[in-house]
Amino acid sequence: MKFTFRGGTHLREHKDTASLATVRLPDPKTVAIPLSQHIGAHATPTVAVGDTVLVGQVIGEVTEGLGCPVHASISGTVKEIRKRDTVQGFLVQDIVIENDGRHAFCESVKPWHKPLAETTAEEIVSIVRNAGISGLGGATFPTYAKLQSAIGKVHTVIVNCAECEPYITANHRLLLERGETVVEGLEIVMHAVGAQTGILAVEDNKPDAIKLLQGAIAARGDQRMRVCVMKTKYPQGDERQLIYSLTKKEVPFGKLPADVGCVILNAETSSAISRAFYRGLPLVSRIVTVAGDCIREPKNVRAPLGVSYTELIEFCGGYVKPLKKLVSGGPMMGQAQWDLHAPVTKGTAALLAFSEEYDRINTEYSACLHCGMCVAHCPMHLMPNYLAQFTREHKYEEAERMGVMSCVECGTCAYNCPAGVQIVQYIRTTKQALRKKR
Amino acid sequence: MDAKQPIAVKAHDLLTVSPSPHARRKITTASVMQDVLIALLPATIWGIYVFGLRAALVVLTCVVSCVAFEALTQIALRRTVTVADCSAAVTGLLLGLNLSPAVPFYVPVVGSAFAIVVVKQLFGGLGKNIMNPALAARVFLMMAWAGQMSLYPAAYDRVGPGVDAVASATPLVALKQGVLPEASLFELFLGRVGGCIGEVSVLMLLIGGVYLLVRRVISWQIPVSFLGTVALLTLLFPQGGIDNVTFMLTSLCSGGLMLGAFFMATDYVTSPVTSVGRLIYGVGCGALVVFLRYFSGYNEGVSFAILIMNSLVWYLDMATKPRIFGKARREKQQKG
Repeated sequence: MKFTFRGGTHLREHKDTASLATVRLPDPKTVAIPLSQHIGAHATPTVAVGDTVLVGQVIGEVTEGLGCPVHASISGTVKEIRKRDTVQGFLVQDIVIENDGRHAFCESVKPWHKPLAETTAEEIVSIVRNAGISGLGGATFPTYAKLQSAIGKVHTVIVNCAECEPYITANHRLLLERGETVVEGLEIVMHAVGAQTGILAVEDNKPDAIKLLQGAIAARGDQRMRVCVMKTKYPQGDERQLIYSLTKKEVPFGKLPADVGCVILNAETSSAISRAFYRGLPLVSRIVTVAGDCIREPKNVRAPLGVSYTELIEFCGGYVKPLKKLVSGGPMMGQAQWDLHAPVTKGTAALLAFSEEYDRINTEYSACLHCGMCVAHCPMHLMPNYLAQFTREHKYEEAERMGVMSCVECGTCAYNCPAGVQIVQYIRTTKQALRKKR
Repeated sequence: MDAKQPIAVKAHDLLTVSPSPHARRKITTASVMQDVLIALLPATIWGIYVFGLRAALVVLTCVVSCVAFEALTQIALRRTVTVADCSAAVTGLLLGLNLSPAVPFYVPVVGSAFAIVVVKQLFGGLGKNIMNPALAARVFLMMAWAGQMSLYPAAYDRVGPGVDAVASATPLVALKQGVLPEASLFELFLGRVGGCIGEVSVLMLLIGGVYLLVRRVISWQIPVSFLGTVALLTLLFPQGGIDNVTFMLTSLCSGGLMLGAFFMATDYVTSPVTSVGRLIYGVGCGALVVFLRYFSGYNEGVSFAILIMNSLVWYLDMATKPRIFGKARREKQQKG
């Protein structure tokens, strides 16, 4: 029996890049590293224009509140500190670094001086924070905060290798090429939070990765860890569905995974923790799946943070068709971009370029047919058709009673809607209106 | 195109910046409606084979007038004309299949006008109507032209234009009187009996119903609970001293039951969205059909039963809300 949940849907996968080895992007001439790459406080620059910086050097620091430091991803000179509009709708500061071509590492990049068994939980949390690690699945919650709140409270650490979004194969490639670092990261986090069980959750569409991970765990002889094979179904990688699939426990509304004794890490986050612990490397690069029908040579690229989308796409052979939509992240939950020169950040799991042909999916074909496809597939067991209807009628309280705040915006409803109703957009409108009233 | 030269994106090329999701299943309103049309094809062809050219003309009149009325109403109401979504064609075909092949040609035209203009467009168009347009029109016609609407020629009895049909007793008339129909069970199943154009052949309707189930256009809950309830009630309470199983099978194969259970009751707009709601809705339809067949002044009750259940859809949906993931079934009233 494979682990699964009720609802959800099997998407067309488009995982054509799964067989292609990850390629390292040569260091670009310049990078523009944003000082805010995830929720929490914006970092303040610790370098000035004209300073020389090295790979892994802290260039932005957060002194209070939630947030973690930002590091230089190439060595060179700080050219400019400028402001830029983001798709999220706020201004962000970018530190522009010009490459000196040396790729020289900062002296702070060195392995942790104690073996894992002698390292305390607090020390691990600070290593993770100092390495600037945030969740690399897309939501980019600062990982140190997640670990801190989980210490002593959780019994299970789950590494999310589901990768349920179409097109993206970055985690799949990571598991195949550096699977052992993912297992090491799991071990470090289990040690930090005091968990007795470690689970690597992989969808059954990656049999090669499953075999490899099973081998890696067997080689370590660690009885506490195991690989769980999940049914390939979207949104299997959503943390609430993942926990339910594995433990049959529902995370109550408004609570966190830690409240049911679980902590979840993305596969690449786990690997980044291992790299920070054993090699001292902060988070300065990530694997980005560059795909979509406009890309000439779709690839998995290990890209330094701060490289522009355009440079990354040119590395993949440029466009074969005129571009109509550029999505950062997966097609189900990613954000459409308007700035082709925006930099790759910690949350850029994929860069998908779609042509007009593909973009036509956004047409609304008719009014809601009341067919119930959205109800049948909603992983949160909501009635999205009525939520959309209440939004149209401005009945926000009514929608709240129907549980609109439980929606995870996974997009399964809109994916299955024959009428092409933009259900998720309606739901977002309601949520925003309700938040404003408080 | 030069293969080496990458296509540049110029600054003035407009990108779409729409909210997620950016992927969709290959299914549209039109594709769903086309599936329904395809599923009705076997029953339509059988109806034309049994009742002749006139049946084809009645069905065609319905489809053409429904599409025409949809376009005209939408133009008059300054709405976007949406006949391309095929929903009006589906209504037209369903209405045509629900008429006797012997009706005068003004009947399908008036019926189409009622279905599209009154029941569908005046309630807000596709997705907003409370009742199934084809069924509501059929009931309207039954009241307006009771005589013409209940005049069914026998199978293979060709009715020329302008010639009054010779009424034949449909199997339901026999059942109402507590006797078995003349036609054997096999003939009922195959559809060699008198009746409405599209309702006679159980076999052809089953083929269409299975097609819709396989294509996942409809879910199993409504047809199974609908037919199951009728089967159970007729098995338990046979009429006129007929043996239980024969009475049940004859009841299942008579009248508009199969057409109703697979194509009318499953209409998206006028049926519940939850699985449990659909089960209750189907049971309600089935119970009402048996009740009306036994106790009302009419021989058939499928249209009325479905229309009555149509009016309860909102309550069924609300009463069968699924339990939200991570929440208790009944949230306590939130305080302050």
